[in-house]
Amino acid sequence: MPVTSDKKNEQRDLFRGALEMMILQSLRRQPMHGYALVQHIRQRSNDLLQVEEGSLYPALQRLLKEELVKAEWEMSATNRRVRTYKITPRGVKHLEHEVSSFERMLAGINLVLSSAKA
Amino acid sequence: MNWLGQLISRRRMEADLSEEIRQHLEEKVEALLAEGMSRDDAERTARRDFGNVVLLEERGREVWSWPTMESLWADFRFALRQFRKSPGFTVTAVLILALGIGVNSAIFSLVHRVLLQPLPFPHPERLYAVWARSDAQGNSHIAASGPDFLDYSDQNRAFSHIAEFIPSFTFTWTGEGEPKLVNCTAVSEGFFSMLGIHPYLGRLYESREYTYLENDTILISYRFWKNQLGSDPHVVGRVIHFEGDTQTIVGVVPPMPDLFPETDVWPKLTVRPSWGFMKWRSNKFLTVIGRVKPDVTAQIAEEDLTGILHRAPGEPPDVRVRLVPLKDDVVGSVHTQLQVIMAAVALVLLVACVNVAALLLARSVKRSAEMALRVSLGAARRRLMQQLIVEGLVLTAVACSFGVLAGWFSLRFVRYLPAWQLPRMEGIHLDTAALLASAAVAIATTLFFAWVPSLTFSNLDLTSALRTGRMGTGRFHRRFFSWLVMAEIACAVVLSVGAGLLLHSLWRVQHVDPGFQPESMLTVYLRTNYYTPEGRSFWRDVLDGVSALPGVRSAALADCTPGKGAATATLVFDDRANDPNHAPPAQGCWASKDFFRTSGTPLIQGRLFTDNDDANAPPVVIVNAETAHRYWPGENPIGKRIGVNYTGPGRTGNSTPRLREVVGVVAGIKHGALDSPTEPAIYMPYLQDETNHDMATMSLFVRSTADPRTLASSVRARIHTVRPDQPVEDLRTMQDLMGQSLAPRRYSLLLLGSFAVLAVLLAALGIYGVVSYTTLQRTREFGVRVALGASRYSLMSDVIRKGLVLTIAGAAVGAGGAMLATRTLSRLLFQVSPLDAVSFTSAAFLLAFTSIGACLPAAWRASHVDPVRALRNE
Repeated sequence: MPVTSDKKNEQRDLFRGALEMMILQSLRRQPMHGYALVQHIRQRSNDLLQVEEGSLYPALQRLLKEELVKAEWEMSATNRRVRTYKITPRGVKHLEHEVSSFERMLAGINLVLSSAKA
Repeated sequence: MNWLGQLISRRRMEADLSEEIRQHLEEKVEALLAEGMSRDDAERTARRDFGNVVLLEERGREVWSWPTMESLWADFRFALRQFRKSPGFTVTAVLILALGIGVNSAIFSLVHRVLLQPLPFPHPERLYAVWARSDAQGNSHIAASGPDFLDYSDQNRAFSHIAEFIPSFTFTWTGEGEPKLVNCTAVSEGFFSMLGIHPYLGRLYESREYTYLENDTILISYRFWKNQLGSDPHVVGRVIHFEGDTQTIVGVVPPMPDLFPETDVWPKLTVRPSWGFMKWRSNKFLTVIGRVKPDVTAQIAEEDLTGILHRAPGEPPDVRVRLVPLKDDVVGSVHTQLQVIMAAVALVLLVACVNVAALLLARSVKRSAEMALRVSLGAARRRLMQQLIVEGLVLTAVACSFGVLAGWFSLRFVRYLPAWQLPRMEGIHLDTAALLASAAVAIATTLFFAWVPSLTFSNLDLTSALRTGRMGTGRFHRRFFSWLVMAEIACAVVLSVGAGLLLHSLWRVQHVDPGFQPESMLTVYLRTNYYTPEGRSFWRDVLDGVSALPGVRSAALADCTPGKGAATATLVFDDRANDPNHAPPAQGCWASKDFFRTSGTPLIQGRLFTDNDDANAPPVVIVNAETAHRYWPGENPIGKRIGVNYTGPGRTGNSTPRLREVVGVVAGIKHGALDSPTEPAIYMPYLQDETNHDMATMSLFVRSTADPRTLASSVRARIHTVRPDQPVEDLRTMQDLMGQSLAPRRYSLLLLGSFAVLAVLLAALGIYGVVSYTTLQRTREFGVRVALGASRYSLMSDVIRKGLVLTIAGAAVGAGGAMLATRTLSRLLFQVSPLDAVSFTSAAFLLAFTSIGACLPAAWRASHVDPVRALRNE
């Protein structure tokens, strides 16, 4: 659902945290509204990750609820009324923690995969 | 944030979310338009890339709400609406489940109370009943005599307490209105303390009161105090007359529903000194119970007492003491009966669950269009599953509440079945654990089968489901259904076979020749308390008076009762060596002259008693055919001489008996249950009892010319003219009395039979459901066949054949199961093999006809398919 690199729905749990991580990372660089976030993630991943655009919003609601981001209605550069999300200090801390544990996991997986190849 | 604040801010959050999604879509459309797409295409692409707006909004909202609570509430209301919309399904499912739960918990409560619940005494596991067994005598329930008990009590090392009692005898209670018989249980010192019983009022007996015979204190039971003495608060010290003696009530014994529910009075059983009949070694009529010491096993205690018994003079070497846990001793023979009923009722619950499962599956098929629509609108699988489970829960909750009611009624029904005397029935109540266990099974089934259909949602062929209103999973369901129905039929067959076996046994028992004619026969048990020859005139006057009544063909006295019981005796022969250790046993009876004429028992050889066979005449005896056959095979028994050691209560059995001449042989009377073999029996003129013990209690038998019940009042009046204060209770017809001995059989059959009927009905419902469902699925096929000229008959037989195949498969499995299961029934059967062909074939035919009946509606519908409409629907 939120991010699908594969058709198999079973993998969604693994990626739910990933989407939130990517959102927080993007917002850490600069505050953005939803549409911009989608575009940003897509470009950054060189279109490797096909984001179903709408799935961003439930994720954003979750982050809002846990006060990892906050939102405000603003006028955009294109003179459109948009709801801009900013990362909170708590969000930064959460992001760092998540990223480091994700990297550890990735390193672990890599080790296993490379030893399997050898 | 507190929950109230959250509730208010939630509205704003939801509004914000909708607004921002709308903005997102607009921005995307604009971007696409800028790339040169047409507006229509741009809008379509934007929506496609975004995903399901409704679903995503809901998911977003869920973050803020208590999604479970709220959706549960919605599902609950939806479930109620659904059930209102399909009352047929709802009522059927609730009824089936409620019956299953109710009947099960009632029977389980019964089993729990009677078989499982420990006796309500401290450390009940250390309480044992003490019996002796002798394989040579074929008796495993030999009671103890007074000297036996004294030996046990003085010499044992294994018991902390040991006591004896006479479980049941009667006193005549006079001085307050009509003379009445009261039930007595006489207990020795230590009985109450062994069971940890404290007086309800007053005190129990003191030690010194057990040390002399002529004391006048008495204990009464709670029941007697309440029912007969009107709960008199000043009962302690009240004077009461039993057996013509004046006694002072010193205390009230609390209710003991597990051991002595019927006892009115608790006389003391004095051991030292004691009455004459307590001193005779072979007068074995006392029940002994003991509490073993904490560190002693039953086996060691058995050895201990067996050793003591073997040291007693004249005790045959093969006799061994047998300790029976007191609870098992109380429960006795109903054990098997109850286990069978319990197994049967569990099968009923199984069938009920299977049926509800089938109902739920059929319903899920019917609702596939609704489900397909909801899936296509973006309903999540989890969400649909939750809703189905809530529906299942609502259904079972309703069913459980009706189940409690059904259980309560079933229990009352079982409890008040007249004459079904189960031990420990007092204080029975609907067991919470039983109720919870049955409900848990029902709930688990319902939830499981509410949930199963949701498994098929993920690979739904939505288009076809929406178009045809059915899910593309017919095959899966059909197969599942078939399995369920086969399981049901198998259970129904097992139960039907069981009921058939019991029915066949009952029929066999009822057609046993009892050796007497119970029709037009009246009997009453009379207790006079004469132990001397002065009783003779009373009995003679009663006999003469009753015989002279109009409508009386003949009347007789005897201390045995056909169909109910006789005392035991052992025989001594003058024509062979007698081994006192292996004295041949026989049933014994003192009878008056016309006993056999009154009972309608045919004389086979010799003569019946005459007026000349009185106290002064040479002693004579009449034997039954079994006695003649066993002890004088191939010889003429007439003129043989035997001595009879009468071992019934109150007999010495010590003196050498007088030799009696055999003067006649009669057909065998069943003195025990009809389903037990006819034992050797001997009959002696009651005037020739030199101990005069038979004067104390005898039964009067009256053969009438018309309906015996019309004689009851004149017989009663006649006895009262002889002796006004003679209690005349329990005046009844012999047919009544025999019916009572068949009661346990009847009630086992009644219960098992009704479970079988229930199971067959449920199975029929199952077959009906499956066949209707598969027929509906094949509507198009039938349409085509009708269009191609198939006859209605061939379509009907096709449908019925499908049903019969299921039935035969199920019945084969059931028959296999029954072959294994009925072995446990064998103890309840009489002259019927557990593999009785009659029962098995009737069960098979019953199920076959039922299933044809259940297929007929569907078959009729199939044969009347309108080809045009059937084909147009697709």
